[in-house]
Amino acid sequence: MTAENQESMIRLRDVNKTYFGAVPLHVLKGINLDVRKGELVSIMGASGSGKSTLLNILGILDNYDSGEYYLDGNLIRNLSENKAADYRNHMIGFVFQSFNLISYKNAMENVALPLFYRGIGRRKRNRLAMEQLERMGIADRALHLPGEMSGGQKQRVAIARAMITNPSIILADEPTGALDSKTSKDVIELFRDLNKREGKTIVIVTHDPGVAAQTDRMIRISDGVIIPGNLPPADGGESRICQC
Amino acid sequence: MLNSFHEIAQTLSHNKLRTFLTGIAVTWGVFMLIVLLGAARGVTNSFERNMAKSSMARIVVWSGRTSIPYKGNREGRAVYMSQKDLKIIPEENARYVDDVTSRLALSGTVSTSAMSVRADLTGVYPNELQLGNRGNLIEGRFINQRDMRDKSKVMVLPQEFAKQLFPPEGKKSVGGRVSNSGLSFLVVGVYESEWHRDIYIPFSTARTMVEDPNILNNINVNLRNVKTEQDGTAAEEGIRSTLSRAHGFDPKDDNAIYIANYFNNSLTAGKAMGILDTAVWALGILTLLTGIVGISNIMFVTVRERTHEIGIRRAIGAKPRQILWQVVTESVVITVLFGYIGIVLGMAVTQLFANVEGNLFLNPTVSLSIALEVTGVLVLSGALAGLFPALKALKIKPVEALMEE
Ligand SMILES: Nc1ncnc2c1ncn2[C@@H]1O[C@H](COP(=O)(O)OP(=O)(O)OP(=O)(O)O)[C@@H](O)[C@H]1O
Ligand SMILES: [Mg+2]
Repeated sequence: MTAENQESMIRLRDVNKTYFGAVPLHVLKGINLDVRKGELVSIMGASGSGKSTLLNILGILDNYDSGEYYLDGNLIRNLSENKAADYRNHMIGFVFQSFNLISYKNAMENVALPLFYRGIGRRKRNRLAMEQLERMGIADRALHLPGEMSGGQKQRVAIARAMITNPSIILADEPTGALDSKTSKDVIELFRDLNKREGKTIVIVTHDPGVAAQTDRMIRISDGVIIPGNLPPADGGESRICQC
Repeated sequence: MLNSFHEIAQTLSHNKLRTFLTGIAVTWGVFMLIVLLGAARGVTNSFERNMAKSSMARIVVWSGRTSIPYKGNREGRAVYMSQKDLKIIPEENARYVDDVTSRLALSGTVSTSAMSVRADLTGVYPNELQLGNRGNLIEGRFINQRDMRDKSKVMVLPQEFAKQLFPPEGKKSVGGRVSNSGLSFLVVGVYESEWHRDIYIPFSTARTMVEDPNILNNINVNLRNVKTEQDGTAAEEGIRSTLSRAHGFDPKDDNAIYIANYFNNSLTAGKAMGILDTAVWALGILTLLTGIVGISNIMFVTVRERTHEIGIRRAIGAKPRQILWQVVTESVVITVLFGYIGIVLGMAVTQLFANVEGNLFLNPTVSLSIALEVTGVLVLSGALAGLFPALKALKIKPVEALMEE
């Protein structure tokens, strides 16, 4: 059990989340989940089932009400905003469906931005950003603003930005949601590549079964609970869903 | 540091309109403050210069006509200041009266071999030029005590007449001779004045030239021992009652004689200057406040507009203080930059005032220390204007910030 713990990048125990709006909405109802280091998993589920809510909690962009969340063995709960910023900057790379690039910065500057908050100088930042863009195959768009790029190009820029800090885990919320099937395939190929070659742990939320099929393991979520009995991993690896 | 400035320059230049609007509010506030302060300083300076030039501790009494019957005398009777009054005023009001002087006006034609002009001759005491801005001596000397005693036939000419009577350009007018009603006068001095062009001769000499030497235009009373308005009023009342007894008019009759109390007026004017100064500061600070409210408003909108961007920055690991630092520095950079423009423009306009002809403004400039204080206020208010909305933006969770737009 101990060995297994150390191996897990993400470990959720009975995590609950309620949105206290006009009508309180219990969105996550006791989530238990383990993702091992180096795993490439997908999360699927109906619209409104709580996928984004879950991913935001994993990315420390949102908090949860009860339960435990360990990221690489660290309990993530009631963190100060400074500590949270450190985790986001050093351990997590987040990729959004809507890209979330800064419109008045060109591709290179967008990719370099996380390093600005590490206090790295502009020259070095831009050099590292160029390297990432090259890896994503869009170095020729480095000086373009987001408004001048296609969806696929923007998503590559966003992935490059997530990668530049060399995070332990990449969280992507419907990264192909705004892309056509051909571009989607390329983007997923990129993720697979990062996972295989660099051993990054990657969690992808998707509606697309084709995308999910490219991952090691598919986690299904329905109405705020994880459904046991997942698809067997495509490449024959073992399932890691906790059902306690 | 340099790092952040590039970042700030980028956001500011990206949002040109916003930067410009914020900046205008600041520039305007500072500009108005500087101009108002400068104008007030100019008025005060010029007032103080005029004060300093003329003795203010004095009272002038003019002849008048009674409007109330008094002790058997009917109204409408002329009251003339006379030689006797020159004696009894100091005698009966020793506490407040230093000395008395007077003026006798004559008119006639003065001529030299070159020229004849009609002129007003005024018989004066030696202290005439000290009384209320009556001119500056530019050549020779003024009437002195000896002229008074000897009833000398000497003259002090206004510059204008000196030029006309002694062409070319009034050279050698001092020492020259001018004749009037058959008498020959020696020119002993030349004066310049914006307002006056009387030819001054000794009072004692003038007395010998008028029909009724007892009738005076006015009497100037130089005061002493006056500090407060009460002193000034007491001196005035003393003089009035002396004259009322001597001439037999009701002391409450405001028309029998006219009294100008320059001492009390100067106190009031001094007070008015103080009020002007305070009013201008208040106005200036209000204007500046308007500017600051302008910045705060715009910063507030700015930060709101940028909530999404702040969400992105936080999602990739920006710490709260890094966000705060950026917003606050942006705000300070705008205020200082545009505030500086306001200071420069304001200084330029006050310089323009300084070049305006006339007496209204003297040296209407604002000291460096005030400019620096204004800048300090700006930096502080700029920082606060950025700080509060930024703190507010940081209170919401990154997810919520990302959902905005
Ligand atoms: N900030 C919020 N306040 C209140 N309710 C919210 C909030 N965010 C999400 N919800 C609700 O919580 C539920 C889960 O939302 P979530 O975004 O996690 O769903 P999802 O699985 O990502 O859906 P989709 O596939 O459409 O993106 C939904 O019913 C949604 O309306
Ligand atoms: Mg979602």
